[in-house]
Amino acid sequence: MTSLEQRFPVAEPVEVGSLLDEVRAEPSGGRLTVGDPRVVEFVTKFARKLLAPALARRYPELASLGFFLRKGELAKALSTLETSGDSLRFPRGLVFHVPPANVDTIFVYSWALSALAGNSNVVRVSSRSAGAAEAVLEALNAALDDVSPEAADVIRATQRMVTYDRSDEVSGALSLAADLRVIWGGDGSVAALRKYPLAPHARDLTFPDRSSFAVASVRGWQEATPEQRRGAAEGFYNDSYWFDQAACSSPRAVFWVGDAAGARVAGEEFRALLASVLEAKQHVTEPAMAVQKRVSAYGAAVDGLVSAISFDGNSLATLELTDATVMPREWLGAGTFANAHLASLGELVPLVLRKDQTVAQFGFTRDELVEFVTELAGRGVDRVVPFGSALTFAGVWDGYDLLAEFSRLVTVQS
Amino acid sequence: MSVFTRSQAEREAQLLPELAELTAHHRASSEGYDRILTSLGIAPNAPFATIADLPWLPVRMFKTHDLKSIPDDEVFKTLTSSGTTGAGASRIYLDKDAAGAQTKQLGATLQEVLGGERLPMLMVDTIGIIKNRRSFSARGAGVLGMANFGRKHTYVLDENDQPDVEAVKKFLAEYGDKPFLIFGFTFMVWLYLYEVARDHGLDLSNGILIHSGGWKKLIDRAVDNTEFRRRFKEDTGLTRIHNYYGMIEQIGTVFLEGPSGNSLYCPDFADVVIRDPETWQEQPVGKPGVIEVVSTLPRSYPGHVLLTEDLGVYNGIDDGDWPGKHFSVLGRLPKAEARGCSDTFSGAAA
Repeated sequence: MTSLEQRFPVAEPVEVGSLLDEVRAEPSGGRLTVGDPRVVEFVTKFARKLLAPALARRYPELASLGFFLRKGELAKALSTLETSGDSLRFPRGLVFHVPPANVDTIFVYSWALSALAGNSNVVRVSSRSAGAAEAVLEALNAALDDVSPEAADVIRATQRMVTYDRSDEVSGALSLAADLRVIWGGDGSVAALRKYPLAPHARDLTFPDRSSFAVASVRGWQEATPEQRRGAAEGFYNDSYWFDQAACSSPRAVFWVGDAAGARVAGEEFRALLASVLEAKQHVTEPAMAVQKRVSAYGAAVDGLVSAISFDGNSLATLELTDATVMPREWLGAGTFANAHLASLGELVPLVLRKDQTVAQFGFTRDELVEFVTELAGRGVDRVVPFGSALTFAGVWDGYDLLAEFSRLVTVQS
Repeated sequence: MSVFTRSQAEREAQLLPELAELTAHHRASSEGYDRILTSLGIAPNAPFATIADLPWLPVRMFKTHDLKSIPDDEVFKTLTSSGTTGAGASRIYLDKDAAGAQTKQLGATLQEVLGGERLPMLMVDTIGIIKNRRSFSARGAGVLGMANFGRKHTYVLDENDQPDVEAVKKFLAEYGDKPFLIFGFTFMVWLYLYEVARDHGLDLSNGILIHSGGWKKLIDRAVDNTEFRRRFKEDTGLTRIHNYYGMIEQIGTVFLEGPSGNSLYCPDFADVVIRDPETWQEQPVGKPGVIEVVSTLPRSYPGHVLLTEDLGVYNGIDDGDWPGKHFSVLGRLPKAEARGCSDTFSGAAA
């Protein structure tokens, strides 16, 4: 028997059967509801801890998380669940979350939205969880002492974050007990978890491997002020370098859209600005990463994908695509960008795959972007965001309205 | 004929034209290699002022791509090795000439310390490592490659990987009063030869030890090269000890520890460049950097100028046991790891 280490609320190791009995028991203060005030109270207190200056300075990604979970934001998100007419909204029940091992904060977004929808949750936290994840667990446990007894009791009764070694028995039991299973961590994780059957009524919410790219309007760049251009480079830095460009939302290719001569000039200006941002941020690329980037870049050259490679120090590698219609979607190393010119956004349409998630954009009008997405007609792309917002998590992710997915509708006709 | 004769100035003068010609040869014969150099903006026939100016390939390229400068039907031997970093194995393609040249030059290099004759040989390994001729581990390939330089081979480990003290005693009784060759991987030499010889009071003073493979596995035993040499000398009488540094991607080229120890030397057909990992410029003596290995041997694949994943430092130039640059290997570059949305290790989810 594998026992589970209980990270939140902190408790003695437990067998999976007992854990399931506990979270499925009727809580003493009454069942959780959609937007349950006890959960809102707890999450708000927890968010405040994340926004404490000392913590936010150490882990900037926790500040974004804290911001996302502030009281006003929660109210706004929950307002989208209000029903009218014949429909009433209820929690799904028990949700089993398998977050990625190497993005420290995703498990919190996944858990918090599910808890706000009124679900009992079991979250598998990676044993390899690093600094930010540890800080999150600490803040969660500390928040239990800051809330009303009613809130603390119901959270303790219904929410669990656990760590366990690879185990068919545990993953199997949690899968079978879940009303909804949420799998992050890419294709590999989805395939591994799909081995475990769900109850007939249950379903999976999967977040497979995704890739993202950026588009910049030559006209928009030409019309932008020096400050706006600098801002674009800074935003792009955050989009790309925060998670070593390995986050699914980080752009891996940049398309300059407009006339060829303008695209060349704009691309060069942007590259110089990005290099100066990297310098200002004192961005350090480890030697091993610098070598990795060369392996990838040279490999792309061998494969005939790129016609020119240029390095601005170790931090920035720019690969000119031989053919703009063949973009690399795989990770090529932190700070490695394929670069190409297109005459119009429309040229991108046939290239887009279902796998494409985020389009970071600079300099386009809303109408241009809506037209582009309309032309895509669902081929791919889940979100279009301005430079600087690629990594900003939202309640709608990978095409799913998460709060809606975490709840269900009951209709009443008298 | 010693292959440790060229001063650094002679090396530049003699090797640079050969290496420039090799670069042109590989560009003409390997489309992939040519594409890399073209992408970097290096013109065909671009002049190179020094060996350090030659374009380098990361050694891992041979794990991710098939790079060869010979047609498929001339491939005589394909060497594969899985290194310790990353997935996949290097694939190195040799034609008949290249296979012959690498054996010949390895022999010429080792002759410096072994002399011209084949010596009785102690293998610090198990015969099992070369039993399966179909699939060799890197260790097996090393043992087999080195076996050519000795005769009367005796294996120090039995079939169960246990030290065979009787076999070693028998070997020493028979051949121990004249020079004999000892070969093995550094950590095995320490665990299975040094400790056994010390505990049984064996006399290895006529031995010539050739060993390789790094010190990582000996760190927790607080054994570095200096300690290794000191203890062997004090406890077994063995003083002729030569560590070497080499890799399958530059097969046949080994950088050999000089007689006075603690520094590796380049044979006349090879060179080394220590690079600053920030600027990629050559480091001065005493400043650590990433090791680039240079050799005129690789003609059947573009492996003549390779950036390794090891850190090293020049100990001096033209001021050691033999002419040219001499250096130490300090360890491996730490692995590049990225955080991302996808779990990059298998079995993470279940």
